[in-house]
Amino acid sequence: MRKSRVTFAASMLAAAALTLAACGGSDDSSSADAGSEDTAAEETVEETVEETDDGEAAEEEAVDTADGPFEVYALLPQGNDQPYGTTYLPPMEETAAELGINLTITNSEYDADKQASECEVAVAAQPDGIILWPAVADSIRPCLEAANNAGIPVWITNADVNPEDTDLTFGYSGTDSYGQGAASAEMMCEFADGAEIGVIQVNGLTGNSVATLRGNGFKETIAELCPNVTILAEQPGNWNKDESQIAASEMLTSVGPDNVQGIYAADDTMVAGAIDAAAAQGLDVDGLIITSIGNTFLGNPLVESGDLDGTVFQSSSWDGENAVRGIYAAMTGETDLGRDDAGSVLYMPNPKVTAQNYDDPAVAPEW
Amino acid sequence: MSETAVVEDKQQVAPPEERQAARILKWTSENGIFIFTAVLIVFALIFVDGFSSLINITDVFHRAAPIGIVAVGMTFVVISGNYLDLSVVAQVATAGVILIAVSNSYGIPLAILAALAAASLFALVNGTAVGVFKANAVIVTLSTTFIGLGLLRFFSGGSIFFGPPDGPIRAFGLGKIGPVPYSAVVLIIMTILLSLLLNRTNFGFLVKSFGVNEQATRLGGTNTSLVIIGAFLVTSVAAMVGGFVLAAFSNTAVSNDGVGYEFEALAAIIVGGTSVFGGRGSIYRTFLGVIFVSVLTNILVLFGIGFGYQQVALGVLIVLAVSIDALGRKVSKR
Amino acid sequence: MSQTQTISLGSAAQEGVWGRIRTVASRRTEGRGLALLAVIIIVVALLEPLVFTAYQVTLGRIALVGIVALGLTAVILMGELDLSVASTLAVSGVIMASIPDLTLGIIAALATGLIVGMINAFFVSVVGINSFIATLGMLFALRGLAFVISDEAPVSLTNKDVGIAFGQPLIGPLTPRILIFVLVFIAIQVFVSRVKAGREFFAVGGNRQAARDAGIPVTRRIFTGFMISGFVASLAGVINTLERTTADPTAGSTVLLASFAAAIIGGNYLKGGRGSIVGTLIGAAALGILQVALTLSGVQVPVQQIFIGVILLVAVTTDPNSLRSVAGSLRTLRQGRAKSPGS
Repeated sequence: MRKSRVTFAASMLAAAALTLAACGGSDDSSSADAGSEDTAAEETVEETVEETDDGEAAEEEAVDTADGPFEVYALLPQGNDQPYGTTYLPPMEETAAELGINLTITNSEYDADKQASECEVAVAAQPDGIILWPAVADSIRPCLEAANNAGIPVWITNADVNPEDTDLTFGYSGTDSYGQGAASAEMMCEFADGAEIGVIQVNGLTGNSVATLRGNGFKETIAELCPNVTILAEQPGNWNKDESQIAASEMLTSVGPDNVQGIYAADDTMVAGAIDAAAAQGLDVDGLIITSIGNTFLGNPLVESGDLDGTVFQSSSWDGENAVRGIYAAMTGETDLGRDDAGSVLYMPNPKVTAQNYDDPAVAPEW
Repeated sequence: MSETAVVEDKQQVAPPEERQAARILKWTSENGIFIFTAVLIVFALIFVDGFSSLINITDVFHRAAPIGIVAVGMTFVVISGNYLDLSVVAQVATAGVILIAVSNSYGIPLAILAALAAASLFALVNGTAVGVFKANAVIVTLSTTFIGLGLLRFFSGGSIFFGPPDGPIRAFGLGKIGPVPYSAVVLIIMTILLSLLLNRTNFGFLVKSFGVNEQATRLGGTNTSLVIIGAFLVTSVAAMVGGFVLAAFSNTAVSNDGVGYEFEALAAIIVGGTSVFGGRGSIYRTFLGVIFVSVLTNILVLFGIGFGYQQVALGVLIVLAVSIDALGRKVSKR
Repeated sequence: MSQTQTISLGSAAQEGVWGRIRTVASRRTEGRGLALLAVIIIVVALLEPLVFTAYQVTLGRIALVGIVALGLTAVILMGELDLSVASTLAVSGVIMASIPDLTLGIIAALATGLIVGMINAFFVSVVGINSFIATLGMLFALRGLAFVISDEAPVSLTNKDVGIAFGQPLIGPLTPRILIFVLVFIAIQVFVSRVKAGREFFAVGGNRQAARDAGIPVTRRIFTGFMISGFVASLAGVINTLERTTADPTAGSTVLLASFAAAIIGGNYLKGGRGSIVGTLIGAAALGILQVALTLSGVQVPVQQIFIGVILLVAVTTDPNSLRSVAGSLRTLRQGRAKSPGS
């Protein structure tokens, strides 16, 4: 037993020595081969790590010049694990390269504790700025305070913090999920035109902040603007087309398909599933009022074909790009702490997309 | 003289009521899943409006099919005493993405080949680590989940892939025989095939005996590593088919499909009566377990019960089902 | 005349300091974890020294997973599993935040952990269900309960200032979370190594029937173990909720499998009977340092995932048992080939 342990220790040290030696000659982009997961991935990662470190070392000397390369941490709750995040990242990285910013990106997968830990790491790294997309707005204040105490400007993207915390930030760019839900509700009200109708509601992943905000935005706006519309049932579709289809179908069965004149889903992927469900139940999809959010590659064709009556455009590229522009403005002193400056709040418009404007290039789908 | 008295004491039979109760409990634990499923369906037919409509039966099948296919495959790993295969999540998503992404550009046959290759790779890594290196299956499959999802996201970029609206994949997803969608037909066929594999082949026998007594199987001279790799291969192929079926149903695929499948499949397997200790169990029981869980969820949604309560119900159900099984086994030992 | 045969004594019987050290060392299970930790520390120190210069951040990350992992180890030593810790964490936090009075909330949250532990232990020892399944059911049920109580949305603390103060460094740069983590480690380590009831955990895990025959109250030990695990999980929930100033019903999902990984890397056997709390500490440290280093390195997130997966896989397939069995299989293979027909 002792012998194998010594062997193991020796081989681990040898492996470490080898990887360190490999770091000497870097380059190549990390295209990890599926076949040789072990060594390829390790070596590639080590190489990339070595690269970044060399880059960082060089930057630290130049960081004090006004427009010198900036170090920025982007604390995000999604990335390549979601379609939106996937199309949010490239414009972000492009804009960063353009403005001379080195981005370090994290993905906390909507886990508030993980994001808080990543925030601590970011603050310890003493970057020039932090881009923050809160996983859970209610729990982000300690992170903001820590960044402020360290003198690091924070720019919020996509999902804003609570009103009482805005003074700790340098600005915000993005949409607001509540507003998206409200916009979708406004369209529903418009199309309902005073008639007494029943609708079913398909929500996003339970407990997810975007899902909660959109859901509340829709419900409360309906109650306020057109109480003639009744929400008969609501279930989560978990941002998935298949789960949404089953949930919608079961809701239709539960309340009786004849009682339903409208469907709302929190995003286009789910509404596509709901539409399939309605069709399978024998309902006339054209006759139903169907609204959702996103105007995605899946949703836009549905608006064109008339199945989807209205959706709200959300531009992931605008979002990613302006997150970087925002932090740049904060780092170069164009905007200050708090939301009083002119450029400190950039709202992504929530343009409604209907049969009238679906082919307008301004709202061309991106994700 | 006194000895005979002692022997007589030991052979004293329990009172008739106790024996009856023990017999009932034992019978329930062994056949519980059949009864519960039957009771549930009858309950639903009577009390839940719209349950028996054709559309709803189809919905139940749509619910059951992808997770059922994964579960009947994973039963092999469970019966071999290796707890579960956490990486089915990554495998379902990978198979779906490969199917849609590759078939869009290169056609379906190549997509299936690519998916098979991926499934085999998963099975090889899982099976070797657990079978040859004797590492713990929970941690091994956890690590392959990380690796698998990381690779998937790296190569697919996290994008959502769509199949053509009039392609064969979509047609498969929409097709059905009466109220039974094609995906459920696939589930039924797989259940039959895998059951034959488990009960009629030498391989299946070895999987079961490995679960009952690892040492004995090894001493018997078989190459147990191959048996374990085989068990994981069955699971991987099943996960691949499950991923195909899922992708066909929605005609889309994305890297976060199949979330939660690993525990849901395990729950169905256990509720069906297969023991986590390994050795005992059957594919038909898993099939019933899946139907039971699907019908239950369907009923809860039809009643308009929120997600939180659904989770509570599922958890209570699992514990209840296994309690009855455990009590039955305890009692039968007496 | 028969030859006198001499028996040479093994290393265990050797006198002297080295002999005794070797004996002790061969019985310990943390060797692998220690080796992995050493490698990680060396590599990280060279590539991302910030991980160590900003050590309070790294300690905080280690504490995040480590607290739950330590409690979990108590259960693993007995050969059982506790999957419900993630949901216990979430539901405790939600309960605490739902009660306006902070002290009462904390007490209620910790009591929840103890009660969950008792329920788990009841199903495992009295009803006789396999702990994997029992705690899996509790994982679902408690998560659902957290959603129901919180109405599926985060619940804010009534007194947010206490929460913010809780996140501030208390002694030097160390926050209360790190200090509590150290206290929990000391408490459980002392319990398992010095207190008789704790030491018996190993016996319960190693051979339950023998433990019973030896007079150990196995059922009571199982109750204690699960209650420790539940209590520590709810403690983690309280800490997280205070630091975040909000309770999130979806919390804990990443902690569950990470704690298992920490315990396994540290050398604990899932079948029970062997392992140590120190080992879990080592495992948590290795994982924590690795995670922080990867975040700082700016490597793409999917690649980070692959990296952690590979390390985990290598760590779990290279323990002495595994290597021995591979060597054995190779030997049998060679022996089989060596035998030629007709020799």
